[in-house]
Amino acid sequence: MIIAGIDIGNASTETALARYTNGTPQFLASGIVPTTGMKGTRQNIHGIFASLKQALTQAGLTVEEVDLIRINEAAPVIGDVAMETITETIITESTMIGHNPSTPGGLGTGVGTTVHMRNIDKIAPHESVIVIIPRDIDFETSSRIINESLARGVYVNGAIVQRDDGVLINNRLNKKIPIVDEVSLIDKVPLGMWAAIEVAAPGNVVEQLSNPYGIATVFDLSSEETKQIVPISRALIGNRSAVVIKTPAGDVKERKIPAGKITIHGKHKNAVINIDDGADVVMEAIRSVAPVEDVEGEAGTNAGGMLERVRQTMANLTDSKPNKIKIQDLLAVDTFVPQNVKGGVAEEFSMENAVGIAAMVRADKLQMDQIARELEKEVGVKVEVGGVEADMAIRGALTTPGSNKPLAIIDMGAGSTDAAIVSGSGEIHSIHLAGAGNMVTLLIASELGFDELAFPEDIKKYPLAKVETLFNIRHEDGTVEFYDKPLDASTFAKVVILTPNGMVPIPGNHSMERIRAVRREAKTKVFVTNAIRSLERVSPTGNVRDIQFVTLVGGSALDFEIPQLVTDALAQFSIVAGRANIRATEGPRNAVATGLVLAYGEEA
Amino acid sequence: MAINEQVLRDIIESVLKEMSDTPDSGAASNAVATSAAAQADSVKLTPIGDAQAGTAADEVLIGLAPAFADSQIDTIINIPHDKVLKEIIAGIEEEGLKARVIKVYRSSDVAVCGHDAADLSGSGVAIGLQSKGTCLIHQKDLPQLSNLELFSQAPLIDLDTYRAIGKNAAKYAKGESPTPVPVRNDQMARPAYQARAALLHIKETQHVEKGKKPVEMKVSFQ
Repeated sequence: MIIAGIDIGNASTETALARYTNGTPQFLASGIVPTTGMKGTRQNIHGIFASLKQALTQAGLTVEEVDLIRINEAAPVIGDVAMETITETIITESTMIGHNPSTPGGLGTGVGTTVHMRNIDKIAPHESVIVIIPRDIDFETSSRIINESLARGVYVNGAIVQRDDGVLINNRLNKKIPIVDEVSLIDKVPLGMWAAIEVAAPGNVVEQLSNPYGIATVFDLSSEETKQIVPISRALIGNRSAVVIKTPAGDVKERKIPAGKITIHGKHKNAVINIDDGADVVMEAIRSVAPVEDVEGEAGTNAGGMLERVRQTMANLTDSKPNKIKIQDLLAVDTFVPQNVKGGVAEEFSMENAVGIAAMVRADKLQMDQIARELEKEVGVKVEVGGVEADMAIRGALTTPGSNKPLAIIDMGAGSTDAAIVSGSGEIHSIHLAGAGNMVTLLIASELGFDELAFPEDIKKYPLAKVETLFNIRHEDGTVEFYDKPLDASTFAKVVILTPNGMVPIPGNHSMERIRAVRREAKTKVFVTNAIRSLERVSPTGNVRDIQFVTLVGGSALDFEIPQLVTDALAQFSIVAGRANIRATEGPRNAVATGLVLAYGEEA
Repeated sequence: MAINEQVLRDIIESVLKEMSDTPDSGAASNAVATSAAAQADSVKLTPIGDAQAGTAADEVLIGLAPAFADSQIDTIINIPHDKVLKEIIAGIEEEGLKARVIKVYRSSDVAVCGHDAADLSGSGVAIGLQSKGTCLIHQKDLPQLSNLELFSQAPLIDLDTYRAIGKNAAKYAKGESPTPVPVRNDQMARPAYQARAALLHIKETQHVEKGKKPVEMKVSFQ
């Protein structure tokens, strides 16, 4: 008899097709298509049908020849992600310009009183000034005036320029002075104030103004005042150019945005925490109250809004009331989001702290039966709902050559990370955790400042390369690949994603090294954290070290680096961990579908 | 394209007729021409022999079409050529690179001007610039009809854009990946300027000398 096992996952619907003769299965073919609709809903039927069809065509069979279809009792979990910024930087009275124009002019440090270009002729000789040059004065004129003033004996020690003219003015001056350009809101720069400008050589960063004592030296500050300017010097660390202006009440503050409290309801106790305390505190609270039964956010706060949004999305998808939706796990991750600095005069950006949150919700179980009944009606083949997803996955994973009981599996999908363990005696224990592939995409998007998710999704999935000339690219690992024909002009000098459909240039100015670092960090934060967290939960002793064999299954296990990251991290606990190879042919795919077919044999 | 040659000819003829018919506008255009000529005097292109292939990796070439700052002195929206050239050179200089200017005589096509210049550029990057203001950024490894960035609607290019074009060309030469210069788009630019653009292009094409090699130009602003 012919049996089809079909697994409906968050991202893909997989089929395993087998022929049973005398109680032994012989696998014929596999199918895989993207899941249609949200997992566990009626829209899945189209995907199920397409996946089955694919396997049947491979095996040269028709639907009529299939005797039984077994679908999984889909682990009814769905995940969603959200992000909240928790700090902001505010500059008052335009005390500093900490932006990083790509081409400042000149070199060195200069100190003087800020003077508008138009009033420089009123300055007496031997006075130290910093000139402010607005957009309407071009570089020829401004450099001529500065040269004349220098000849007249005025100490012009630096310039702040609105246009991108720094190098141009510098090239025309008789004396080298530091010039900071591209200061868009130059009208806000206070005049008649004592100011210091520093420009470092290419490849270097400012040293004087990023040092509190350096600023104290320049402005002759008392020890009490020096304490207060620490945030300013801190904000300037890593910049190639900087301006600090001494105003009576100027200040730079990093402020915490009150993001609100969340309450975690555990089975035995509750915990209340502030989201702005950061991800570590949230995760510690989750661990302390486990098992979590629901999570609530304070009404009227960002945290509350974020969790309600997740709840509402889930409610819509599962067609139930929001108050019936229980959030059963959270994964909080610290991250950075580029944000405009408030009060900045050069549209400076600063990397603000943010917390990304993935939530996992248990949905209604009944829908699978509905799908089964409807599918039966449509294809005219007997359809039954097989066992629990985790049990099936374990059965499938055990077909990996070299694996044995006791065995743990980690199923890394798009919406959730599931883990299960089978003991030597065949007892199976499983859990579901929030946070998986979608969370990684969100983290990449926020740190690189992308508004939409298409680019981050591709960055997550595929390796990078830099197009060096139109005939060669340099891969992430430094190897060079040559081409006979010139590459597309749109990729010239760009960092590209090497997708199966060709090179996709990444917009923006991020270096390949930075994108790679962000990508790997996001994957580590989500998958390595979750791998350890899930094993802690399923381990009979609560200790990760007591598990010996771990196989990785699910779509994210196909990723080109996630399995390595996890293998590497788990090796520290002396665990053998690696990507599964279902039936020695399918890789980490098809575990559940295979398990569904095998389970039939065991039940019969 | 619904406009055929005959229609275009009619339009041009009627425009020319109008210009010669009304003495007022004639005087006005003369005045514009003289004032523009005075400004064009402020850039001087001195030929200094056949353009040679450069070896410096820090140069960006600017390939000018035959009539540039010669028989024509301003762009389609009357921006004087000296200002255009100055902004492009300034953009290149701001990025720390050097500009070298050549004039291409074998064609008035902006792609040819750009690609011929790119072939001679030490960095492989060049800017092609027509007298009416149309320009592009080219790279020597690209097919002639391809480009890195194209600014086809000359009526919409202002001086800030020319500066940005110079900057971006220099950034490509440095191996950076600049954000393409934002281009404005205006559907009305085409109908409003088509006849004028055609005239200017025809005028420029009259100065094409087949087989003449590109000539390096010394640029001096007065």
